[in-house]
Amino acid sequence: MVQIKMPPKPIDNSIGYLELKNNNIYCSKVFLSDLGYSTKNKKISLEFFLSNLIHKDDSHQFRNNYFSFIKNSIDFRQSMLIESKNGKYKEFVCTTNHDNINFSNNRAKSKFLFFNKRKYKTNKKVKRNQFYYKETAEMTSTGSWYVDLVKRKSYWDQQTRRILEYPEDYIPSINKSVSYYPEAYFERVKNLFLKCSIEGESFNSEIKMLTKNNREFWVKVMGKPVFNDKKKIIGVRGIFQDIDETKAKELSLQRTSNIIASQNKRLFNFAHIVSHNLRSHTSNLSLVVELINATESKEEKLELINTVEDIASSLNDTIEHLNEVVTIQTSTNKSISPIKFSESLKHVKTSIGQIITKSRATINSDFSKIDTINYIPAYLESILLNLITNSIKYKHPERDPVIKIRSYVENSKTVLEITDNGVGIDLEKFGGKLFGMYKTFHYNKDAVGIGLFITKNQIEALNGEINVFSEVEKFTTFKITF
Amino acid sequence: MNNKLIELACIIDDDDIYTNLVKRVIKTKKLCENLITFKNGKQSIDYFEALLQNSDNNKIPDIIFIDLNMPIMDGWEFIEQFNKIKNRFNKLITLYIVSSSINPVDIDRAKSLNSVKDYLVKPVVINELENIFNESV
Repeated sequence: MVQIKMPPKPIDNSIGYLELKNNNIYCSKVFLSDLGYSTKNKKISLEFFLSNLIHKDDSHQFRNNYFSFIKNSIDFRQSMLIESKNGKYKEFVCTTNHDNINFSNNRAKSKFLFFNKRKYKTNKKVKRNQFYYKETAEMTSTGSWYVDLVKRKSYWDQQTRRILEYPEDYIPSINKSVSYYPEAYFERVKNLFLKCSIEGESFNSEIKMLTKNNREFWVKVMGKPVFNDKKKIIGVRGIFQDIDETKAKELSLQRTSNIIASQNKRLFNFAHIVSHNLRSHTSNLSLVVELINATESKEEKLELINTVEDIASSLNDTIEHLNEVVTIQTSTNKSISPIKFSESLKHVKTSIGQIITKSRATINSDFSKIDTINYIPAYLESILLNLITNSIKYKHPERDPVIKIRSYVENSKTVLEITDNGVGIDLEKFGGKLFGMYKTFHYNKDAVGIGLFITKNQIEALNGEINVFSEVEKFTTFKITF
Repeated sequence: MNNKLIELACIIDDDDIYTNLVKRVIKTKKLCENLITFKNGKQSIDYFEALLQNSDNNKIPDIIFIDLNMPIMDGWEFIEQFNKIKNRFNKLITLYIVSSSINPVDIDRAKSLNSVKDYLVKPVVINELENIFNESV
């Protein structure tokens, strides 16, 4: 064990030093007082000096320097932080030779370590700047990072570690970068990074990242290339900014705006339907009235009055359809409750039992993957009813209808699929109009063109989606994503 | 008033009540010799294509009234198909759109088509029909 003894008379009162003589370490008064210790009270071993006084970041290097100096007389110069008595670190530059100091001969066997306090005038300014950078980084939740393409190493600042919930001494690694992003974003990040490191293209993008605790959150990631003197790209540097809160608001605003847009679209459609469909009846009425006036014969007049009855009855139908549509728009958010697909299908089968029997239709259902959803029970029944009767209506003339219904989960959403073996729909021709009101594509006389329109409206009113897949003469599949 | 009548008129509309009423007007006012009706564009295109095979001029209408909203093949699609074949008839066929749509988009679109003589908004009045028939003779 090397003991620190009371130092000999200081050679230079302004510079602290350690005198290493034989196996002893002598500590200069100035050095001790620089660290806030009294010149009388301390016995410090080398071990204590290395592990307690020198900052852990500098300790290892100092140990190496120290022993190569003692054993092989290799000079060194190292700046380091040393903890003073009050717990604060002070920065010193440690050197092994000092031009300004001459030692007397009796010290020839001693080796000296000199400790100059670092006190550049710029120090304070730099510190203040660092303070502001730190504040800026903290308040804006912005961390910086650097990827050294030559050494193939990556670096994070403390703020990046904090944002990503990694411990302070965590060392990032290029190989582990997969774990910093959710799978869905990794490709995109890789492309941005490659474009930057190869073509020198800066990037600024909003992506999701993963914290150490596997929490997904939104960040703004910006990066730009770093060039060497020969204008070769040697690294990529940039920032991560935590924008999770802002992004969440933005996304919810976007959702709201989408809902409003789709509601507006439905309203517009509705207004159009109302004006168009009501107008066709009123114009027929006007024509009848005109005809009655233009006709002399009483018999013909009476006949024309019969036509008024027909008009009245089809006007009634139209108003009933419109009423159904209005009901959909106003009854959302009402009476949503857990409902079983199997229950709902049972009700539908009962209510159209005759049609099913008469058409010799087979209905196979599989709700084993998911059977219960939160929905408006009446809507679910109406959807099933419309799609099943549709399949029966448009059955293939040469075979009995077979309807397969199944439910499953896709992208964490419940999906209901109804497939038939009917005549199919030429989607290229009719796809755009399939769900329009009073659009029919078949010569069936009972085709009204209201069922699919209502179905789509019901599904969309509850933020769902309906898609159709079909092959003429083979099958039609309706896929509803709730 | 000209005594000569249009030989054959054609109505393409899925509204039976409307079609029957116009039939009556035509009959009462004796606006043309014959009238054929179709329920949608597809039916009438099938008819016209069949005519091209046996070139029976008597069965080619002089005037067509077509609705816009129809199942299977609507008015716009009919016009598109009809334009492809109309030059093969050795007869001038006048095309009118008759629709209850007062949507300006529809009206502007109809006016931009060379093959459409005019856009009539339902209800058509008897006078209007009379004028059209007389003009076309």
